Amino acid sequence: MTQTKLLAVIGLVVLGIIIVNGTVYSVDERERAVVVRFGQVIRYDDKPGLHFKQPFLDAVHFFPAQILTLEVEPQQIPTIEKKYVVVDSYVKWRIADVLKYFVALGGDELKARDRLSQVINSGLRGEFGKRTMHDVIAGDRAKIMEVLSVNADKAASEYGIEVVDVRIQRVELPPQVRGSVYERMKSERGRIAKELRAKGAEQAEKIRANAERQRDILLAEAYRDAQRIRGEGDARVTGITGRAFGVNPEFYALYRSLSAYRESFKNKDDMLVVDPSADFFKYFKNPRRGAPSGQ
Amino acid sequence: MAWNEPGGSGGKDPWGQRRKEQGPPDLDQILKNIRNKLTGLFGGKRGGANNESVNRYGMWLIIGVALVLWLLSGFYIVQQSERGVVLRFGKKSEITGPGGLHWHWPFPIEHVEKVNVEQVSTLWIGRRNDKSVGAAGADSGYMLTEDENIIVIEFSVQYKVKDPGDYLFNVRDPVSTIVQATESAVREVVGKSQLDFIMTEGQFEVADKTRVLLQQILDRYKCGIQITQVQMQKASPPDDVKAAFEDAIKAREDGDRYIQDAKAYENDIIPRARGGAARLIQEAQGYKASVTARAEGDARRFTSIEKEYAKAPGVTRERMYLETMEQVLSSTSKIFVDLKGGNNVLYLPLEKLVPRASASDAGPVNTLQPLPEPMERSAPAAANSERARDSSRERGTR
Repeated sequence: MTQTKLLAVIGLVVLGIIIVNGTVYSVDERERAVVVRFGQVIRYDDKPGLHFKQPFLDAVHFFPAQILTLEVEPQQIPTIEKKYVVVDSYVKWRIADVLKYFVALGGDELKARDRLSQVINSGLRGEFGKRTMHDVIAGDRAKIMEVLSVNADKAASEYGIEVVDVRIQRVELPPQVRGSVYERMKSERGRIAKELRAKGAEQAEKIRANAERQRDILLAEAYRDAQRIRGEGDARVTGITGRAFGVNPEFYALYRSLSAYRESFKNKDDMLVVDPSADFFKYFKNPRRGAPSGQ
Repeated sequence: MAWNEPGGSGGKDPWGQRRKEQGPPDLDQILKNIRNKLTGLFGGKRGGANNESVNRYGMWLIIGVALVLWLLSGFYIVQQSERGVVLRFGKKSEITGPGGLHWHWPFPIEHVEKVNVEQVSTLWIGRRNDKSVGAAGADSGYMLTEDENIIVIEFSVQYKVKDPGDYLFNVRDPVSTIVQATESAVREVVGKSQLDFIMTEGQFEVADKTRVLLQQILDRYKCGIQITQVQMQKASPPDDVKAAFEDAIKAREDGDRYIQDAKAYENDIIPRARGGAARLIQEAQGYKASVTARAEGDARRFTSIEKEYAKAPGVTRERMYLETMEQVLSSTSKIFVDLKGGNNVLYLPLEKLVPRASASDAGPVNTLQPLPEPMERSAPAAANSERARDSSRERGTR
């Protein structure tokens, strides 16, 4: 008897749990729930917290309420100049309208991603095809992303999806084009290197030339001044001697000649070939030659 | 003597006759007890009337203990650096912390998720063989600049959790969201910058712009993350063109070196030239002063002599002449030639008399007297020619 009672009790507990479990469900902050009864959505906007439903009759579907990420596969996309770039991007999206999402896509996230990819890809092609390479890389990147976001949001709203953001990650050149870019970069560097060296040489040459010019001018001016000073000296000498010697030019000639002789023949190496008939030697041969005058 | 001594006669112990029932419990007995208690709980009056009250108390005790244990399971510890986010039936109810012992309603009513809000984490972007960059792959650091050059950039991004609620609930996988957003933001900034700018003075600016843009993007997602720092770890040209870039850098150095060399040259020659110029002037002034002084000296001397000369011109003239000739002839070598002898064929072997005439400069031809004979400088050691008659040689040693 006690055993049957025990079983009954256990059964009651299990039944209770099942009923509670079937009646009560909690929705996490990260989720939204849709309650479906016989294929008909009867409630779809449950906020996080505790909720009730009819046991057995109602089925609850949970959907993520967070922002989700779709990484779009890298694509080769032509720009307006028919240059191909590799673009990869990501989409931040979330389920805004759970009912629409559930109805349109059956709540299948894979399907949603697929649709989004298509929307983004065609959007990318459209926007890139209108722009030049330079615009795509530099100028219009933010604008492209803006346009893509708005368009994708519009397109996805029929699935109950809100596109929070579309962002281009990489815009790169395809590997086969890189080589030529590298070549261009190399030659550009070569040009810069040459220019830098030449500019350095230019400056250096200017500095040297300027230095030499200054040197030459300095020396020449110094020479000029020096000559002027010397000239003044010479002039003064001329003046002084002229005044002094002019008193007796005849005596000056004698005086100066004699001193010149002294200066000219003072070396032992100088050899004179002397004629004894010279006046100097008049007493050398004949001591009496001048005597009569004396006697 | 022990009370529980087995086999003792007439067991006298404090528990009296109950002693036997309290013996070592066997399994059957326990099961039976539990069954009794359970049946007692659910109103079974059959199970031994004497045990009924005991069973009820036991029942409540068990329930009470279970309840207490259940409530105790709601205690949790939050570290100083953490925040606890309490979810009641999945709905965020409160945020606890920083630090301490807290309590929440136990499962299944509430549960807590802890988030570290102080810890600064670092993500590396663009580093090779880094798996965290995902789809970007091996060459994720390659970026196109505004001038359509390719640059390799490595970034580190440091972040921490700013709002634990947002961090937990708003975005699925916030960390890879940061990576994606950084990849995008960096490229947007790099795409607007010139290669040279990024590699030289623009490093900080690019990193800073990236940080601002990245924070804007993340705030748009409300993912509760604060970017504390974005640093450009490396910005270099791709390996294929590195040599060219290095040469360009070297060229800059070379150019500077040329200029420095030229400046050194300038600094060398100009002071020297200044010195040379000063020397020229000084020499000229020296010349001027000295020739003037000499001239004055000469003039005075002449004037003095002239005064005396004027008193007795004839004698003075003779005296001066003789003194001069004496001095001249005594200090030089002489060859005495008497041309009056009639022998006109006089040969003076000057080459022998003057062995070094060719080496030394040609001496001036001086005429001592009205004499048509050349007088040459000659070596003192010159030998007499056998032809020369009447020649006397005298060493001019004095």
